[in-house]
Amino acid sequence: MTKTLIGQRVLRNEDARLLTGLAQFVDDVEIPGLLHAAFLRSDHAHARLVGLDVSAARQRPGVIAVFTAEDMGADWAPGPPLVSPPPTAKDVTFHSRRQVPLVKDKIRHAGEALAVVIAENRYIAEDAVEDILVDLEPLEAVVDLEDAMRPDSPRVHDDLESNLAAHLFQKKGDYDAARQQADLVLRRRILIDRGAAAAMENRGIVADWDEKSQHLTIWDTTQAPIPIRNGTAARLGLSENQVRVIAPFIGGGFGPKMMMFYPEELVIPWAAKKLKRPIKWIEDRRENFYATTQERGQVHDVEIALSKDGRILGLKDIFLHDTGAYDPYGLTIPLNTQCHALGGYDIQNFTTEVSVVFTNKTLVTPVRGAGRPQGIFVIERMLDAAARELGLDPVEIRRRNLIPPTAFPYEHGIIDQAFAPLILDSGNYWPVMEKALEMIGYATFVRDEQPRLRKAGKHVGIGIAPFVESTGVGPYEGARVTVEASGKVFVATGVGTQGQGHFTTFAQVVAEQLGVEVSDVRLVSGDTAEFHWGTGTFASRGAVVAGNAIHAAASIVRRKVLELASKHLETPEDELELEGGRVRVADIPNRSISLAELANLANPLRGAVEPGTEPGLEATAYFGPRYGATAFGVHAMIIEIDPETMMIEIKRYVTVEDCGTVLNPLILEGQIHGGVSLGIGNAYYEKLHYDENGQLLNASFADYLIPSATEMPRIEVGHMETRSPLNELGTKGVGEAGTIPVPALFAQAIENALADRQLEILESPLSPNRLYELTSRKEAG
Amino acid sequence: MAITESTMPKLFDLALTVNGTLREQAVEPRLLLSDFLRHDLGLTGTHVACEHGVCGACTVLLDGEPVRSCLIFAVQAHGHSVTTVEGLGAVDRLHPVQEAFRQAHGVQCGFCTPGILTSVVPFLADHPDPSEEEIREALSGNLCRCTGYQHIVDAVKLAAQAMKAANEQPAR
Amino acid sequence: MKIEGQYTFDGPRPILWELVRDPQVLATCLPGSPSVRKTGEHEYEGEIAIRVGPISGAFAGQLSVTNEVPPASCTLTVEGKGKVGFVKGVGNIDMTDQGPGKTLMKYTGEVQIGGKVASVGQRLFDSVSRGMIDQALGKLNETLQARSGGR
Repeated sequence: MTKTLIGQRVLRNEDARLLTGLAQFVDDVEIPGLLHAAFLRSDHAHARLVGLDVSAARQRPGVIAVFTAEDMGADWAPGPPLVSPPPTAKDVTFHSRRQVPLVKDKIRHAGEALAVVIAENRYIAEDAVEDILVDLEPLEAVVDLEDAMRPDSPRVHDDLESNLAAHLFQKKGDYDAARQQADLVLRRRILIDRGAAAAMENRGIVADWDEKSQHLTIWDTTQAPIPIRNGTAARLGLSENQVRVIAPFIGGGFGPKMMMFYPEELVIPWAAKKLKRPIKWIEDRRENFYATTQERGQVHDVEIALSKDGRILGLKDIFLHDTGAYDPYGLTIPLNTQCHALGGYDIQNFTTEVSVVFTNKTLVTPVRGAGRPQGIFVIERMLDAAARELGLDPVEIRRRNLIPPTAFPYEHGIIDQAFAPLILDSGNYWPVMEKALEMIGYATFVRDEQPRLRKAGKHVGIGIAPFVESTGVGPYEGARVTVEASGKVFVATGVGTQGQGHFTTFAQVVAEQLGVEVSDVRLVSGDTAEFHWGTGTFASRGAVVAGNAIHAAASIVRRKVLELASKHLETPEDELELEGGRVRVADIPNRSISLAELANLANPLRGAVEPGTEPGLEATAYFGPRYGATAFGVHAMIIEIDPETMMIEIKRYVTVEDCGTVLNPLILEGQIHGGVSLGIGNAYYEKLHYDENGQLLNASFADYLIPSATEMPRIEVGHMETRSPLNELGTKGVGEAGTIPVPALFAQAIENALADRQLEILESPLSPNRLYELTSRKEAG
Repeated sequence: MAITESTMPKLFDLALTVNGTLREQAVEPRLLLSDFLRHDLGLTGTHVACEHGVCGACTVLLDGEPVRSCLIFAVQAHGHSVTTVEGLGAVDRLHPVQEAFRQAHGVQCGFCTPGILTSVVPFLADHPDPSEEEIREALSGNLCRCTGYQHIVDAVKLAAQAMKAANEQPAR
Repeated sequence: MKIEGQYTFDGPRPILWELVRDPQVLATCLPGSPSVRKTGEHEYEGEIAIRVGPISGAFAGQLSVTNEVPPASCTLTVEGKGKVGFVKGVGNIDMTDQGPGKTLMKYTGEVQIGGKVASVGQRLFDSVSRGMIDQALGKLNETLQARSGGR
């Protein structure tokens, strides 16, 4: 088969609808008789709920119902655990405390839902929320991670002995022994703070219970429609078959829409069934800032042991991880941090220990990057410090430690987020780095340009940061591929889509197998009525796991097509080819049959068939990798800092990504660009400011600054392709690659640009303000 | 409590042109233009993302000028002409700016896209041959979390070229 | 948030003390036309309208006066809540004579805010509260001057 479609810059199938305003998002769903919900949320971060008086709200004209935890009666129950602690790891402590639909007794973060109003329209619902009288007893809030672990700290969960949510120790080799051999041991404390995913579309859910057919339909801005269906059915005592969850077009996911169940996902379907009326709830932006999950807060105490020639002998990382008020997402993020603190380096001795901490802040679940940026920040900061101590070039110290191409698959032995032993499946790391060096002109810049510009008084700096990205983890995804009677192809898969271009890349995979136009492949994703096996879109796994399931299903359909065509054309299968929606005999182009005719032959209306025959040209297949594929990449950047304002101008930004087989470079570049923009926000603009009482102080886009077009540089993207041996397409994920190394890259480039100030950066995010403080403090001595 | 005269909001008889069609409806004075377009008229292409005029997703054209429909009341558009993304082009007849966004992959999740299109159309009318800097400046009032803006900038350039080429062709 | 400052009044300390100790007077000095009712010897309740940037709304709350050392110092505790959030504050007032007919007031306090007024208005709350205090002290001084015969 000639390779024609994989790797092409195919334009997207979904664009026309998105560009003309016809694509349906959750808030676009309209149903006759639709009611609207608004939630009363706590102003306090930590308080005992004494009472709620909803009588005035219930009296307001246009209000249909007001529900509190009490009103939910026996139906009130915390959400299910989303991720269990790793069964394979020894030495794990894990206290599972899950979010509740509506607060019953104790408020654990500002913004937690206390009551819901259902009304004829949103305006009335919001008015009625203000009618509710709240009686509560404020408690001292747990905000700072280290304070939270002190014995005298107030407790987020009264039934626990402390604010420790989980503890996990992992090791490889013998760090202490390695340390004995070391020529240099460096110790640092590294602080990383929270940011928001800030998808442009806020969350939302519409639930429609049809009493006559006893069927519940839910439109949800979720990255995981199938688990939402199954969980909702279980909670409401329905058969899974009675619940259909649709994740239509989603206006950006970035992780938090993978969290489940949000309190609103527990409450709205329940209320719709109870009232027998369709209900819509759409989050507003301020709610999004404290009711939608966040990430990144960690405190690391790191030690690295090196030989004098700059080889890493061992690494020890003891850290705190902020999980917020509850921990439904288990240990996914800290496990990613542990695995990524090893970077792409050959490290034989590693000790890592995390304490997960409850705080009176919004829940923490993965945000694009998911613990990986923190791990990479830690190792890259330590290598930069080591390079300085040893008088080595930052590139050289990395070159000496990167895993060589001959060492794959490289086994680290510790367990990863998929509870599998961490194995880096394949890679070709140094050549990727070399390509990035060449693209950014590293040697020339360091040798000629930087000294010249510095002489002219300019604070210019360069950074170069390699990273690994664990991607494409299990358990599995599936797909059904059908050649319809029209000859066009229909594909159904369980994963939802949030802008990644699945309608196109998946169509390319199918079109490649079946010889049809990409535009003739119609995909439905994220509708449980079409496909109900699978988990969701997360961990950079769509293209890998769903992509390979679709590839497998399309391959089976291809075999069926060839088998049937072979009979019909009386030609052996290996002499047939699929092109232009037809099967034809290779040497005799006019002897052919269309896919449409074959589809009809495979699904006759009359006549006898052989026993055991399956109708149609259709197949369902699944793909589940034994372990995840690991991608690699390098980002490099040249900046100039204005030392007066500490504003940074990015002069050049280069990335080289090796995510295995590239399905569509156009879409891949888009993923990188977007990832980098979130990374730049994380590194230099975005930080969620909580005060000591757990109040979030910048809950709007006027105060929480996400990069705009004027902050973003032009990004030059280079590719390398080291196919993953773990799947047939050879793909690795790339969804989070753009984001992961950016904070580490900024820290390095800033230190380099301000070399005259001998600044060492041990925190993220930074900002012009914060950088100014750091340099002033340094000068003040 | 019964709905009485005093608890009923007073309604305003609104009349305006939306995408070339006259629309008349009695509305509450506090109804936002964005809600009117989306929920009363079913023109759900206009999206709301920040509710205070920062992100630009809800941008529509009021008498040809871009405005934030989440910041103005429907009654303020009384007697005026509104163009939403639905009024720019259709699936089989994309506006040159829409077509350029498709060609340059200026769309990912597509949520911010309608507001960007309605900002770019008047921008290109005033700046038929914009520089990259001018484009980025013009886009700085529209937030996008997916694209990093690069393909959007490329799309605007491409649209400018396409529209210029079309204008230079002799009319037939 | 910490609040700290001082203000020199054009009037004698005993009269200023009387004014400060009368929340009805304090109420007339504050912007947002608050209403105050006495509920106990040292307790009051009332309402005030506050505007912080994009956020505006009525707050209802209690004020109590403790640690009185007439005519020199006292502690004011305020707790208010409304549809846009809550405000809690504790402040100490300390007055000393400052030459003939002049009184220096030093004040320190700690204010905590929550809800919408914090999450959206925080950026502006500092300057708004400072503005309110300055305005109130100026008005109080005018009242004092009138009461003490315009000296």
